[in-house]
Amino acid sequence: MTAAGESYQLYVDGFPRAVVGAELGDSLLSVLRDTLGVTSVKDACEQGRCGACSVLLDGRLAASCTVLAADADGARVVTVAGLGAVGLARAVRAMFLAEGAVQCGFCTPGFVVAVTDLLTRRPDADDEEIREALAGNICRCTGYGRILAAIRAVQRERGILPSLEESRARPDGG
Amino acid sequence: MLAAAHESGAAVALLSGGTDLVPALRSGERVADAVVALRRVLELRVRGAGADSLTIGAGVTYADLVGWSLSPGLARAARVVGSVQIRNTGTVGGALGSVRPAGDLLTYLTAADAEVLTASPRGTRWRPLGQFLAEGVEADGLVTAVRLARPGGPQVHVKIGGRQAAYPAIVSCAVVVDRVRHRVACAIGGVGRLPARMGGAESFAVDEVDWTTGTIPVQAARRFGDLVVEAVAGISPVLPVGPGESADYRCHAAGVLASRALARCLHPQATRATQPATTTELATDAQPGTARPSDPTAGPGAAGRGGGS
Ligand SMILES: Cc1cc2nc3c(=O)[nH]c(=O)nc-3n(C[C@H](O)[C@H](O)[C@H](O)COP(=O)(O)OP(=O)(O)OC[C@H]3O[C@@H](n4cnc5c(N)ncnc54)[C@H](O)[C@@H]3O)c2cc1C
Repeated sequence: MTAAGESYQLYVDGFPRAVVGAELGDSLLSVLRDTLGVTSVKDACEQGRCGACSVLLDGRLAASCTVLAADADGARVVTVAGLGAVGLARAVRAMFLAEGAVQCGFCTPGFVVAVTDLLTRRPDADDEEIREALAGNICRCTGYGRILAAIRAVQRERGILPSLEESRARPDGG
Repeated sequence: MLAAAHESGAAVALLSGGTDLVPALRSGERVADAVVALRRVLELRVRGAGADSLTIGAGVTYADLVGWSLSPGLARAARVVGSVQIRNTGTVGGALGSVRPAGDLLTYLTAADAEVLTASPRGTRWRPLGQFLAEGVEADGLVTAVRLARPGGPQVHVKIGGRQAAYPAIVSCAVVVDRVRHRVACAIGGVGRLPARMGGAESFAVDEVDWTTGTIPVQAARRFGDLVVEAVAGISPVLPVGPGESADYRCHAAGVLASRALARCLHPQATRATQPATTTELATDAQPGTARPSDPTAGPGAAGRGGGS
Protein backbone atom coordinates (compact mmCIF):
# COMPACT_ATOMS: atom_id res chain seq x y z
CA MET A 1 0.00 0.00 0.00
CA THR A 2 1.37 3.41 -0.91
CA ALA A 3 -0.21 6.29 0.91
CA ALA A 4 -0.77 9.65 -0.70
CA GLY A 5 2.16 11.99 -0.19
CA GLU A 6 4.78 9.26 0.12
CA SER A 7 7.58 9.49 -2.40
CA TYR A 8 8.62 6.88 -4.89
CA GLN A 9 10.93 6.62 -7.85
CA LEU A 10 10.47 6.01 -11.55
CA TYR A 11 13.20 5.43 -14.14
CA VAL A 12 12.04 7.65 -16.97
CA ASP A 13 13.97 7.28 -20.21
CA GLY A 14 16.94 5.97 -18.25
CA PHE A 15 17.03 8.61 -15.52
CA PRO A 16 15.88 8.11 -11.92
CA ARG A 17 13.11 10.59 -11.12
CA ALA A 18 11.75 11.04 -7.61
CA VAL A 19 8.01 11.54 -7.42
CA VAL A 20 7.04 13.61 -4.40
CA GLY A 21 3.62 14.82 -3.40
CA ALA A 22 1.55 12.95 -5.97
CA GLU A 23 -1.94 11.79 -5.02
CA LEU A 24 -2.57 8.12 -4.40
CA GLY A 25 -5.00 7.87 -7.31
CA ASP A 26 -2.72 9.57 -9.84
CA SER A 27 -2.14 7.74 -13.07
CA LEU A 28 1.31 7.30 -14.54
CA LEU A 29 0.18 9.68 -17.30
CA SER A 30 -0.64 12.51 -14.91
CA VAL A 31 2.57 12.01 -12.91
CA LEU A 32 4.69 12.00 -16.08
CA ARG A 33 3.08 15.17 -17.40
CA ASP A 34 2.10 17.19 -14.34
CA THR A 35 4.68 16.15 -11.76
CA LEU A 36 7.69 15.38 -13.94
CA GLY A 37 6.99 17.63 -16.95
CA VAL A 38 7.29 14.88 -19.56
CA THR A 39 4.76 16.37 -21.98
CA SER A 40 5.53 14.24 -25.04
CA VAL A 41 3.23 11.68 -23.41
CA LYS A 42 -0.15 13.02 -24.57
CA ASP A 43 -3.30 13.26 -22.50
CA ALA A 44 -6.47 12.64 -24.49
CA CYS A 45 -9.12 10.11 -23.47
CA GLU A 46 -7.83 8.97 -20.04
CA GLN A 47 -9.72 5.72 -20.57
CA GLY A 48 -7.15 3.51 -22.26
CA ARG A 49 -8.84 3.90 -25.62
CA CYS A 50 -6.78 6.27 -27.76
CA GLY A 51 -3.15 5.26 -27.19
CA ALA A 52 -1.85 8.86 -27.16
CA CYS A 53 -0.24 8.20 -23.76
CA SER A 54 1.46 4.92 -24.77
CA VAL A 55 4.78 4.16 -23.08
CA LEU A 56 6.88 1.07 -22.51
CA LEU A 57 6.51 -0.01 -18.90
CA ASP A 58 9.28 -2.44 -17.99
CA GLY A 59 9.52 -3.14 -21.70
CA ARG A 60 5.82 -3.71 -22.42
CA LEU A 61 3.53 -1.35 -24.30
CA ALA A 62 0.96 0.19 -21.97
CA ALA A 63 -1.46 3.09 -21.92
CA SER A 64 -0.01 5.17 -19.09
CA CYS A 65 -3.47 6.52 -18.20
CA THR A 66 -4.48 3.03 -17.03
CA VAL A 67 -1.40 2.53 -14.84
CA LEU A 68 -1.36 3.69 -11.23
CA ALA A 69 1.81 5.76 -10.89
CA ALA A 70 2.55 4.55 -7.35
CA ASP A 71 2.29 0.95 -8.57
CA ALA A 72 5.03 1.72 -11.11
CA ASP A 73 7.47 2.49 -8.25
CA GLY A 74 10.91 1.37 -9.41
CA ALA A 75 9.72 0.59 -12.94
CA ARG A 76 11.44 1.56 -16.19
CA VAL A 77 9.28 3.92 -18.20
CA VAL A 78 10.29 4.61 -21.79
CA THR A 79 8.62 7.44 -23.70
CA VAL A 80 9.22 8.49 -27.30
CA ALA A 81 12.23 10.50 -26.13
CA GLY A 82 13.89 7.46 -24.55
CA LEU A 83 13.57 5.06 -27.46
CA GLY A 84 17.05 5.98 -28.69
CA ALA A 85 18.72 8.20 -31.25
CA VAL A 86 19.92 5.35 -33.45
CA GLY A 87 18.65 2.09 -34.83
CA LEU A 88 15.01 1.15 -35.14
CA ALA A 89 13.55 4.12 -33.25
CA ARG A 90 15.48 6.57 -35.40
CA ALA A 91 14.24 4.85 -38.54
CA VAL A 92 10.64 4.93 -37.32
CA ARG A 93 10.81 8.66 -36.55
CA ALA A 94 12.54 9.45 -39.86
CA MET A 95 10.03 7.47 -41.93
CA PHE A 96 7.05 9.01 -40.14
CA LEU A 97 8.37 12.37 -41.38
CA ALA A 98 9.42 11.20 -44.84
CA GLU A 99 6.13 9.41 -45.55
CA GLY A 100 3.82 12.13 -44.24
CA ALA A 101 2.58 10.03 -41.33
CA VAL A 102 2.54 13.12 -39.12
CA GLN A 103 -0.20 15.68 -39.59
CA CYS A 104 -1.38 17.47 -36.45
CA GLY A 105 1.16 15.35 -34.55
CA PHE A 106 -0.83 14.79 -31.38
CA CYS A 107 -0.97 11.01 -31.71
CA THR A 108 2.57 10.71 -33.07
CA PRO A 109 4.55 10.09 -29.85
CA GLY A 110 2.19 7.26 -28.90
CA PHE A 111 2.33 5.82 -32.40
CA VAL A 112 6.12 5.95 -32.55
CA VAL A 113 6.32 4.05 -29.25
CA ALA A 114 3.75 1.48 -30.40
CA VAL A 115 5.36 1.01 -33.83
CA THR A 116 8.83 0.63 -32.33
CA ASP A 117 7.43 -1.95 -29.91
CA LEU A 118 5.76 -3.84 -32.76
CA LEU A 119 8.81 -3.86 -35.05
CA THR A 120 11.04 -4.94 -32.16
CA ARG A 121 8.81 -7.95 -31.53
CA ARG A 122 7.78 -8.61 -35.14
CA PRO A 123 10.23 -7.02 -37.60
CA ASP A 124 8.46 -8.54 -40.62
CA ALA A 125 4.86 -7.87 -39.55
CA ASP A 126 2.45 -7.83 -42.51
CA ASP A 127 -0.39 -5.34 -43.10
CA GLU A 128 -2.93 -7.33 -41.13
CA GLU A 129 -0.65 -7.71 -38.14
CA ILE A 130 0.40 -4.06 -38.26
CA ARG A 131 -3.19 -2.83 -38.31
CA GLU A 132 -4.14 -5.14 -35.50
CA ALA A 133 -1.12 -4.21 -33.35
CA LEU A 134 -1.88 -0.50 -33.77
CA ALA A 135 -5.60 -0.79 -33.09
CA GLY A 136 -5.04 0.74 -29.65
CA ASN A 137 -3.72 3.98 -31.17
CA ILE A 138 -6.14 6.41 -32.74
CA CYS A 139 -5.19 8.98 -35.41
CA ARG A 140 -7.87 11.41 -36.55
CA CYS A 141 -5.85 12.99 -39.39
CA THR A 142 -4.06 10.50 -41.58
CA GLY A 143 -6.58 7.73 -42.05
CA TYR A 144 -3.66 5.41 -41.13
CA GLY A 145 -2.53 4.94 -44.76
CA ARG A 146 0.55 7.13 -44.36
CA ILE A 147 1.39 5.47 -41.05
CA LEU A 148 1.27 2.06 -42.69
CA ALA A 149 3.45 3.43 -45.51
CA ALA A 150 5.98 4.70 -42.96
CA ILE A 151 6.19 1.27 -41.34
CA ARG A 152 6.68 -0.40 -44.73
CA ALA A 153 9.46 2.15 -45.45
CA VAL A 154 11.18 1.24 -42.18
CA GLN A 155 10.99 -2.44 -43.12
CA ARG A 156 12.50 -1.65 -46.53
CA GLU A 157 15.26 0.46 -45.02
CA ARG A 158 16.15 -2.34 -42.68
CA GLY A 159 16.22 -4.90 -45.49
CA ILE A 160 13.18 -6.80 -44.25
CA LEU A 161 11.16 -5.87 -47.32
CA PRO A 162 12.77 -5.48 -50.76
CA SER A 163 13.46 -1.84 -51.68
CA LEU A 164 11.14 -0.12 -54.16
CA GLU A 165 13.81 -0.43 -56.89
CA GLU A 166 14.16 -4.14 -56.23
CA SER A 167 10.44 -4.76 -56.37
CA ARG A 168 10.15 -2.73 -59.60
CA ALA A 169 12.98 -4.77 -61.13
CA ARG A 170 10.96 -7.91 -60.44
CA PRO A 171 7.56 -7.51 -62.10
CA ASP A 172 6.05 -10.33 -60.05
CA GLY A 173 6.59 -8.05 -57.07
CA GLY A 174 8.42 -10.94 -55.38
CA MET B 1 -2.68 -5.95 5.06
CA LEU B 2 -5.95 -6.15 3.20
CA ALA B 3 -7.73 -7.38 6.33
CA ALA B 4 -6.15 -4.67 8.51
CA ALA B 5 -7.16 -1.96 6.07
CA HIS B 6 -10.64 -3.42 5.91
CA GLU B 7 -10.97 -3.54 9.72
CA SER B 8 -9.94 0.09 10.01
CA GLY B 9 -13.03 0.94 7.98
CA ALA B 10 -11.06 2.38 5.08
CA ALA B 11 -12.36 2.03 1.53
CA VAL B 12 -9.82 -0.36 0.06
CA ALA B 13 -9.47 -1.01 -3.67
CA LEU B 14 -7.62 -4.01 -5.03
CA LEU B 15 -5.44 -3.12 -7.99
CA SER B 16 -4.24 -5.58 -10.62
CA GLY B 17 -3.53 -4.14 -14.07
CA GLY B 18 -5.54 -0.98 -13.48
CA THR B 19 -7.24 -0.88 -16.90
CA ASP B 20 -10.63 -0.55 -15.23
CA LEU B 21 -9.71 0.82 -11.82
CA VAL B 22 -7.28 3.64 -12.66
CA PRO B 23 -9.58 5.49 -15.10
CA ALA B 24 -12.40 5.03 -12.56
CA LEU B 25 -10.29 6.51 -9.74
CA ARG B 26 -9.27 9.41 -11.95
CA SER B 27 -12.81 10.23 -12.99
CA GLY B 28 -14.09 9.92 -9.43
CA GLU B 29 -16.38 7.03 -10.33
CA ARG B 30 -14.48 4.98 -7.72
CA VAL B 31 -13.16 6.42 -4.46
CA ALA B 32 -10.51 4.68 -2.36
CA ASP B 33 -8.67 5.53 0.86
CA ALA B 34 -6.13 2.85 0.14
CA VAL B 35 -5.05 0.73 -2.78
CA VAL B 36 -3.64 -2.76 -2.40
CA ALA B 37 -1.50 -3.38 -5.47
CA LEU B 38 -1.21 -7.02 -6.49
CA ARG B 39 1.02 -6.74 -9.58
CA ARG B 40 4.16 -7.68 -7.67
CA VAL B 41 2.67 -10.72 -5.97
CA LEU B 42 4.47 -13.28 -8.08
CA GLU B 43 2.41 -16.21 -6.78
CA LEU B 44 -0.60 -14.69 -8.55
CA ARG B 45 1.19 -14.61 -11.88
CA VAL B 46 1.68 -18.33 -12.41
CA ARG B 47 -0.37 -20.68 -14.51
CA GLY B 48 -0.13 -24.41 -14.35
CA ALA B 49 -1.37 -27.61 -15.90
CA GLY B 50 -2.46 -30.70 -13.98
CA ALA B 51 -3.53 -34.04 -15.42
CA ASP B 52 -7.14 -32.92 -15.86
CA SER B 53 -7.20 -29.22 -15.16
CA LEU B 54 -5.54 -25.90 -15.88
CA THR B 55 -5.03 -23.30 -13.16
CA ILE B 56 -4.47 -19.62 -13.93
CA GLY B 57 -3.33 -17.11 -11.32
CA ALA B 58 -5.31 -13.91 -10.91
CA GLY B 59 -2.31 -11.82 -11.95
CA VAL B 60 -1.92 -13.52 -15.34
CA THR B 61 -2.47 -10.99 -18.15
CA TYR B 62 -4.42 -11.48 -21.37
CA ALA B 63 -1.11 -11.22 -23.24
CA ASP B 64 0.21 -14.16 -21.19
CA LEU B 65 -2.76 -16.26 -22.32
CA VAL B 66 -2.84 -15.34 -26.00
CA GLY B 67 -0.40 -18.02 -27.12
CA TRP B 68 -1.29 -20.68 -24.58
CA SER B 69 -1.56 -23.88 -26.59
CA LEU B 70 -3.00 -25.89 -23.69
CA SER B 71 -6.24 -23.94 -23.93
CA PRO B 72 -6.90 -22.60 -27.41
CA GLY B 73 -10.38 -21.42 -26.40
CA LEU B 74 -9.04 -19.37 -23.51
CA ALA B 75 -6.24 -18.11 -25.74
CA ARG B 76 -8.81 -17.00 -28.30
CA ALA B 77 -10.95 -15.24 -25.71
CA ALA B 78 -7.86 -13.40 -24.42
CA ARG B 79 -6.76 -12.60 -27.97
CA VAL B 80 -9.90 -10.62 -28.77
CA VAL B 81 -9.74 -8.38 -25.67
CA GLY B 82 -9.05 -4.69 -26.30
CA SER B 83 -5.70 -3.64 -27.78
CA VAL B 84 -2.07 -4.65 -27.26
CA GLN B 85 -1.93 -2.03 -24.48
CA ILE B 86 -4.97 -3.48 -22.70
CA ARG B 87 -3.91 -7.11 -23.16
CA ASN B 88 -0.43 -6.36 -21.80
CA THR B 89 -1.92 -4.85 -18.66
CA GLY B 90 -5.37 -6.32 -17.94
CA THR B 91 -5.55 -9.47 -15.85
CA VAL B 92 -7.75 -12.45 -15.07
CA GLY B 93 -8.29 -11.21 -11.50
CA GLY B 94 -9.32 -7.80 -12.77
CA ALA B 95 -11.84 -9.35 -15.17
CA LEU B 96 -13.40 -11.27 -12.26
CA GLY B 97 -13.33 -8.14 -10.12
CA SER B 98 -14.94 -5.90 -12.73
CA VAL B 99 -17.64 -8.37 -13.85
CA ARG B 100 -18.37 -6.62 -17.14
CA PRO B 101 -21.59 -8.07 -18.58
CA ALA B 102 -20.06 -9.03 -21.94
CA GLY B 103 -16.50 -9.46 -20.59
CA ASP B 104 -14.76 -11.96 -22.84
CA LEU B 105 -13.08 -13.93 -20.12
CA LEU B 106 -16.25 -14.13 -18.04
CA THR B 107 -18.26 -15.50 -20.96
CA TYR B 108 -15.61 -18.03 -21.89
CA LEU B 109 -15.10 -19.18 -18.28
CA THR B 110 -18.87 -19.53 -17.87
CA ALA B 111 -19.00 -21.93 -20.82
CA ALA B 112 -15.92 -23.75 -19.53
CA ASP B 113 -17.50 -24.43 -16.09
CA ALA B 114 -14.58 -22.70 -14.39
CA GLU B 115 -14.07 -22.49 -10.64
CA VAL B 116 -12.73 -19.48 -8.78
CA LEU B 117 -10.31 -19.59 -5.85
CA THR B 118 -10.64 -16.76 -3.36
CA ALA B 119 -8.56 -16.05 -0.26
CA SER B 120 -9.53 -14.16 2.87
CA PRO B 121 -8.36 -14.18 6.52
CA ARG B 122 -10.70 -17.15 7.01
CA GLY B 123 -8.83 -19.22 4.46
CA THR B 124 -9.16 -20.13 0.81
CA ARG B 125 -12.05 -21.70 -1.04
CA TRP B 126 -12.98 -22.86 -4.52
CA ARG B 127 -16.41 -21.93 -5.81
CA PRO B 128 -18.07 -22.57 -9.16
CA LEU B 129 -17.89 -19.38 -11.23
CA GLY B 130 -21.68 -18.93 -11.19
CA GLN B 131 -21.76 -19.06 -7.40
CA PHE B 132 -18.79 -16.72 -7.15
CA LEU B 133 -20.47 -14.21 -9.46
CA ALA B 134 -23.71 -14.39 -7.50
CA GLU B 135 -22.02 -13.98 -4.11
CA GLY B 136 -19.05 -11.80 -5.02
CA VAL B 137 -15.67 -11.71 -3.36
CA GLU B 138 -15.56 -11.14 0.41
CA ALA B 139 -14.92 -7.52 1.41
CA ASP B 140 -11.59 -8.56 2.94
CA GLY B 141 -10.77 -11.17 0.30
CA LEU B 142 -9.42 -11.42 -3.20
CA VAL B 143 -9.48 -13.72 -6.20
CA THR B 144 -6.26 -15.70 -6.41
CA ALA B 145 -6.87 -18.15 -9.28
CA VAL B 146 -9.32 -19.79 -11.66
CA ARG B 147 -9.39 -23.44 -12.65
CA LEU B 148 -10.92 -25.15 -15.66
CA ALA B 149 -10.86 -28.58 -17.23
CA ARG B 150 -8.38 -29.32 -19.98
CA PRO B 151 -10.15 -28.98 -23.33
CA GLY B 152 -11.83 -32.14 -24.59
CA GLY B 153 -12.76 -30.83 -28.04
CA PRO B 154 -13.20 -27.68 -30.09
CA GLN B 155 -13.89 -24.36 -28.36
CA VAL B 156 -14.86 -21.11 -30.03
CA HIS B 157 -15.26 -17.60 -28.64
CA VAL B 158 -16.89 -14.85 -30.73
CA LYS B 159 -18.13 -11.35 -30.01
CA ILE B 160 -19.86 -8.42 -31.61
CA GLY B 161 -19.62 -4.73 -30.81
CA GLY B 162 -17.95 -1.46 -31.70
CA ARG B 163 -14.25 -0.76 -32.17
CA GLN B 164 -12.82 -3.66 -30.22
CA ALA B 165 -9.59 -1.98 -29.13
CA ALA B 166 -11.58 0.76 -27.45
CA TYR B 167 -14.84 -0.78 -26.25
CA PRO B 168 -15.75 -4.09 -24.69
CA ALA B 169 -18.22 -6.14 -26.75
CA ILE B 170 -21.99 -5.70 -26.73
CA VAL B 171 -22.61 -9.45 -26.90
CA SER B 172 -20.08 -12.26 -26.52
CA CYS B 173 -20.54 -15.99 -26.93
CA ALA B 174 -18.47 -19.05 -26.13
CA VAL B 175 -19.17 -22.62 -27.20
CA VAL B 176 -17.18 -25.42 -25.57
CA VAL B 177 -17.55 -28.94 -26.94
CA ASP B 178 -16.35 -31.99 -25.03
CA ARG B 179 -16.08 -34.90 -27.44
CA VAL B 180 -15.00 -37.26 -24.70
CA ARG B 181 -17.92 -36.67 -22.35
CA HIS B 182 -20.35 -35.75 -25.14
CA ARG B 183 -21.15 -32.28 -23.84
CA VAL B 184 -21.89 -28.95 -25.47
CA ALA B 185 -21.76 -25.78 -23.40
CA CYS B 186 -22.82 -22.34 -24.61
CA ALA B 187 -22.54 -19.08 -22.67
CA ILE B 188 -23.81 -15.69 -23.77
CA GLY B 189 -22.50 -12.44 -22.27
CA GLY B 190 -24.06 -9.02 -22.64
CA VAL B 191 -27.72 -9.98 -22.42
CA GLY B 192 -28.04 -9.75 -18.65
CA ARG B 193 -25.93 -8.51 -15.77
CA LEU B 194 -24.01 -11.81 -15.78
CA PRO B 195 -23.20 -14.26 -18.57
CA ALA B 196 -25.88 -16.92 -18.96
CA ARG B 197 -25.70 -20.59 -19.94
CA MET B 198 -28.05 -21.73 -22.69
CA GLY B 199 -29.20 -25.02 -21.12
CA GLY B 200 -32.02 -25.76 -23.57
CA ALA B 201 -29.91 -25.19 -26.66
CA GLU B 202 -27.08 -27.21 -25.12
CA SER B 203 -29.18 -30.35 -24.55
CA PHE B 204 -30.70 -30.00 -28.02
CA ALA B 205 -27.20 -29.90 -29.54
CA VAL B 206 -25.97 -32.89 -27.53
CA ASP B 207 -28.74 -35.02 -29.08
CA GLU B 208 -28.06 -33.73 -32.60
CA VAL B 209 -24.28 -34.15 -32.71
CA ASP B 210 -22.87 -37.18 -34.50
CA TRP B 211 -20.26 -37.86 -31.84
CA THR B 212 -18.21 -40.24 -33.97
CA THR B 213 -17.50 -37.55 -36.57
CA GLY B 214 -17.98 -34.49 -34.36
CA THR B 215 -20.42 -32.92 -36.82
CA ILE B 216 -23.97 -31.62 -36.71
CA PRO B 217 -26.64 -31.27 -39.43
CA VAL B 218 -26.97 -27.79 -40.91
CA GLN B 219 -30.59 -27.40 -39.78
CA ALA B 220 -29.61 -28.29 -36.23
CA ALA B 221 -26.95 -25.58 -36.12
CA ARG B 222 -29.61 -23.06 -37.18
CA ARG B 223 -32.13 -24.37 -34.69
CA PHE B 224 -29.45 -24.00 -32.01
CA GLY B 225 -29.32 -20.26 -32.74
CA ASP B 226 -33.12 -20.03 -32.57
CA LEU B 227 -33.17 -21.74 -29.19
CA VAL B 228 -30.57 -19.28 -27.90
CA VAL B 229 -32.71 -16.37 -29.11
CA GLU B 230 -35.71 -17.83 -27.27
CA ALA B 231 -33.72 -18.27 -24.07
CA VAL B 232 -32.20 -14.80 -24.26
CA ALA B 233 -35.63 -13.23 -24.87
CA GLY B 234 -36.64 -14.70 -21.51
CA ILE B 235 -33.84 -12.92 -19.67
CA SER B 236 -35.10 -9.61 -18.34
CA PRO B 237 -33.11 -6.90 -20.13
CA VAL B 238 -31.51 -5.13 -17.19
CA LEU B 239 -28.66 -3.57 -19.14
CA PRO B 240 -28.75 0.04 -20.24
CA VAL B 241 -29.70 0.25 -23.90
CA GLY B 242 -28.11 2.55 -26.45
CA PRO B 243 -29.06 3.22 -30.07
CA GLY B 244 -26.97 0.33 -31.38
CA GLU B 245 -27.63 -2.06 -28.55
CA SER B 246 -31.32 -2.45 -27.89
CA ALA B 247 -32.57 -5.59 -26.17
CA ASP B 248 -33.86 -6.83 -29.54
CA TYR B 249 -30.47 -6.32 -31.13
CA ARG B 250 -28.66 -8.14 -28.33
CA CYS B 251 -31.10 -11.00 -28.63
CA HIS B 252 -30.65 -11.28 -32.39
CA ALA B 253 -26.86 -10.98 -32.08
CA ALA B 254 -26.81 -13.75 -29.47
CA GLY B 255 -28.54 -16.13 -31.89
CA VAL B 256 -26.20 -15.27 -34.75
CA LEU B 257 -23.09 -15.64 -32.61
CA ALA B 258 -24.27 -18.91 -31.05
CA SER B 259 -25.02 -20.66 -34.33
CA ARG B 260 -21.78 -19.34 -35.80
CA ALA B 261 -19.74 -20.55 -32.84
CA LEU B 262 -21.44 -23.94 -32.89
CA ALA B 263 -20.83 -24.24 -36.62
CA ARG B 264 -17.14 -23.55 -36.15
CA CYS B 265 -16.96 -26.28 -33.54
CA LEU B 266 -19.11 -28.89 -35.26
CA HIS B 267 -18.84 -28.29 -39.03
CA PRO B 268 -22.48 -28.50 -40.11
CA GLN B 269 -23.17 -31.22 -42.69
CA ALA B 270 -25.89 -30.97 -45.34
CA THR B 271 -26.67 -34.60 -44.71
CA ARG B 272 -25.40 -36.96 -42.08
CA ALA B 273 -22.95 -38.31 -44.66
CA THR B 274 -19.46 -38.60 -43.26
CA GLN B 275 -17.75 -35.87 -45.23
CA PRO B 276 -14.58 -34.30 -43.96
CA ALA B 277 -14.73 -30.85 -42.44
CA THR B 278 -15.92 -28.24 -44.92
CA THR B 279 -13.21 -25.59 -44.85
CA THR B 280 -9.78 -25.48 -43.38
CA GLU B 281 -10.59 -22.36 -41.41
CA LEU B 282 -13.40 -24.11 -39.63
CA ALA B 283 -11.40 -27.27 -39.22
CA THR B 284 -8.43 -25.62 -37.57
CA ASP B 285 -10.41 -23.07 -35.66
CA ALA B 286 -10.13 -24.39 -32.18
CA GLN B 287 -8.30 -27.67 -32.27
CA PRO B 288 -5.83 -27.92 -29.42
CA GLY B 289 -2.41 -26.65 -30.36
CA THR B 290 -3.40 -24.85 -33.53
CA ALA B 291 -4.19 -21.39 -32.22
CA ARG B 292 -2.51 -19.08 -34.71
CA PRO B 293 -2.35 -15.58 -33.34
CA SER B 294 -1.28 -14.14 -36.65
CA ASP B 295 -4.15 -15.78 -38.52
CA PRO B 296 -6.21 -12.84 -39.80
CA THR B 297 -9.41 -14.87 -39.53
CA ALA B 298 -8.65 -15.35 -35.85
CA GLY B 299 -7.84 -11.72 -35.20
CA PRO B 300 -9.80 -9.24 -33.16
CA GLY B 301 -10.37 -7.13 -36.25
CA ALA B 302 -12.39 -9.96 -37.65
CA ALA B 303 -14.10 -10.63 -34.35
CA GLY B 304 -14.91 -6.95 -33.92
CA ARG B 305 -16.75 -6.93 -37.20
CA GLY B 306 -18.90 -9.73 -35.96
CA GLY B 307 -16.90 -12.89 -35.65
CA GLY B 308 -15.12 -12.86 -38.94
CA SER B 309 -17.46 -14.53 -41.35
C1 LIG C 1 -9.94 0.47 -23.78
C2 LIG C 1 -10.40 -0.78 -23.10
C3 LIG C 1 -10.84 -1.87 -23.85
C4 LIG C 1 -11.29 -3.01 -23.22
N1 LIG C 1 -11.70 -4.06 -24.00
C5 LIG C 1 -12.15 -5.18 -23.41
C6 LIG C 1 -12.59 -6.27 -24.20
O1 LIG C 1 -12.55 -6.23 -25.43
N2 LIG C 1 -13.05 -7.38 -23.55
C7 LIG C 1 -13.09 -7.45 -22.19
O2 LIG C 1 -13.53 -8.47 -21.67
N3 LIG C 1 -12.66 -6.44 -21.41
C8 LIG C 1 -12.20 -5.31 -21.99
N4 LIG C 1 -11.77 -4.27 -21.22
C9 LIG C 1 -11.89 -4.39 -19.75
C10 LIG C 1 -10.65 -4.69 -18.94
O3 LIG C 1 -9.48 -4.73 -19.63
C11 LIG C 1 -10.84 -5.97 -18.14
O4 LIG C 1 -11.96 -5.92 -17.34
C12 LIG C 1 -9.57 -6.34 -17.35
O5 LIG C 1 -9.53 -7.73 -17.22
C13 LIG C 1 -9.43 -5.73 -15.98
O6 LIG C 1 -8.22 -6.22 -15.42
P1 LIG C 1 -7.18 -5.30 -14.65
O7 LIG C 1 -6.11 -6.19 -14.19
O8 LIG C 1 -6.81 -4.14 -15.46
O9 LIG C 1 -8.12 -4.86 -13.44
P2 LIG C 1 -8.09 -3.60 -12.47
O10 LIG C 1 -8.48 -2.38 -13.21
O11 LIG C 1 -6.84 -3.58 -11.69
O12 LIG C 1 -9.28 -4.02 -11.50
C14 LIG C 1 -10.60 -4.18 -11.99
C15 LIG C 1 -11.55 -4.45 -10.82
O13 LIG C 1 -11.27 -5.71 -10.24
C16 LIG C 1 -10.87 -5.58 -8.88
N5 LIG C 1 -9.79 -6.54 -8.70
C17 LIG C 1 -8.55 -6.51 -9.25
N6 LIG C 1 -7.85 -7.60 -8.92
C18 LIG C 1 -8.66 -8.35 -8.14
C19 LIG C 1 -8.50 -9.62 -7.48
N7 LIG C 1 -7.35 -10.33 -7.56
N8 LIG C 1 -9.54 -10.09 -6.75
C20 LIG C 1 -10.72 -9.39 -6.68
N9 LIG C 1 -10.92 -8.20 -7.28
C21 LIG C 1 -9.91 -7.69 -8.00
C22 LIG C 1 -10.47 -4.13 -8.73
O14 LIG C 1 -10.64 -3.67 -7.41
C23 LIG C 1 -11.42 -3.45 -9.69
O15 LIG C 1 -12.68 -3.28 -9.11
C24 LIG C 1 -11.31 -3.11 -21.81
C25 LIG C 1 -10.86 -2.02 -21.05
C26 LIG C 1 -10.40 -0.88 -21.67
C27 LIG C 1 -9.91 0.26 -20.83
